Amino acid sequence: MIEPLIFYSLATLIILSSIMVISARSAVISALFLVLDLFLLACLYASLNAHFVAVIQLLVYAGAILVLFLFVIMLLNVDPKSGQRQITFGGVTLCAVAVLVFLTISYHLLPTMTTELDTSKLGTDNTYRVAILLFTKYLWPFELASILILLAMVASVIIARKPS
Amino acid sequence: MGLIIVAIKILLLVALLMQIPPLMIWVERRGPALMQRRRGPNRVGLFKWRLWGLLQSLADAIKLIFKEEIVPAGAHRQLFQLAPLLGVIPAFLVAAAIPFGQPLEIFSMTVPLSIVQLDVGFLYILAISSLGVYSIAVAGWASNSKYSLLGSLRAAAQMISYEIPLGLSLIPVVLIYGTLDLNSIVVAQHDVWGIFKAPLSFIIFLVCMFAETNRAPFDMAEGEAELVAGFHTEYGSTKFAAFFLAEYVVMFVLSCLAATLFFGGWQLPLVTHEWLVANWGAIVAALLGIGSLLAKATFFMWLFVWVRWTLPRFRYDRLMALGWKFLLPLGLVNILVTALLLTVGW
Repeated sequence: MIEPLIFYSLATLIILSSIMVISARSAVISALFLVLDLFLLACLYASLNAHFVAVIQLLVYAGAILVLFLFVIMLLNVDPKSGQRQITFGGVTLCAVAVLVFLTISYHLLPTMTTELDTSKLGTDNTYRVAILLFTKYLWPFELASILILLAMVASVIIARKPS
Repeated sequence: MGLIIVAIKILLLVALLMQIPPLMIWVERRGPALMQRRRGPNRVGLFKWRLWGLLQSLADAIKLIFKEEIVPAGAHRQLFQLAPLLGVIPAFLVAAAIPFGQPLEIFSMTVPLSIVQLDVGFLYILAISSLGVYSIAVAGWASNSKYSLLGSLRAAAQMISYEIPLGLSLIPVVLIYGTLDLNSIVVAQHDVWGIFKAPLSFIIFLVCMFAETNRAPFDMAEGEAELVAGFHTEYGSTKFAAFFLAEYVVMFVLSCLAATLFFGGWQLPLVTHEWLVANWGAIVAALLGIGSLLAKATFFMWLFVWVRWTLPRFRYDRLMALGWKFLLPLGLVNILVTALLLTVGW
């Protein structure tokens, strides 16, 4: 009884805060709603017994990446009045594509979705299970991803470096 | 029934946590007074008892609550008022995961002595405490003051920089004990404390602890000589008190975490928990355990004050260099060495 209630209230809040992310005039407000969005998403994971994913979501996205977003926005001091709202051809196209992607995914996924999800089967040892999967089945993709990120980081340092 | 017990535990914990800021503010004034051979606040007491000035903090709290609420012109009103809350809420949420003892058998029920038992309790503390940075960032930005903004930018950069060595310093502990559950880590320390198994981790953790709480010698966020009062320059009354509340609660939680991971948590030295339960009963054992954890945390709280009045503030670039160029590689080497030693079965 209480679990659907939690799920639907969380889902509603997530959608509302997502709408606020794209509709807020000020970049700082927008970023803060994104934090709220990611926090609520972590709550959703936690309510599905996926504690490890929930905590990592908070630690990595809400706790680190969004702080950097906010940091850059504050440092550059983006003027909230500078962004004039207008309808452009690109914007309309983007919206149309997004709606199309959403509808396609829903069309293919909805019939396969079940309303009954037995979360008790998931267990609480999901840290262990994630680790086993990461270090056996997905070892190479995992390691390659870390090298890719390192390369991106080195590249951005080189681009940002002032010519001496 | 379970819900009532959780509610009682939450009430007890909040009651405990609310005592910490007034007590700590008193220590923070009397401590340096002791070091500098002056008296500090020693007058405010009850009727004819002075109580070593203990009630000074109460008087200050009442003063702060009754002060006028001022929102500076040009400030973002909602965010300005939200910022102190953003600090207080994570601080209290983090405390929920600290284990105060073995599950207590009382009235034919098993009551775990922490509010939540998470198999990822360890990561939960790191994750929620990393949200505290928004309080400072938002406070600085919403104040519409250059001192506040500079203070908050410094603090935000500092906190995300030191979160990385903090996390790295704790990985060897996880490797040694093989669990992310805080209570299991405490139980595993029944014979040898964690500090003897991972001494380097403790040193890195201690340095990062000071940086994460923005305490001296890393109190760049405030830097009163340069930034007036940093991110809370524009704050007054209850909102100012809320920042203090958050700061001291986070300090206490990190002190408890240090005690839990490196100093045996609620374990008493020399005697085992089973012996205490068998001889003195479960309730006495639980109370002694809570006392043991609080005593260890008290030591770290005193250390915060001690260091604050001993070491001068770091220069900002030195602080960043220490975090990124020294602690980060040291943490990585520490993980590698611990992993190697564990593999060869040392």
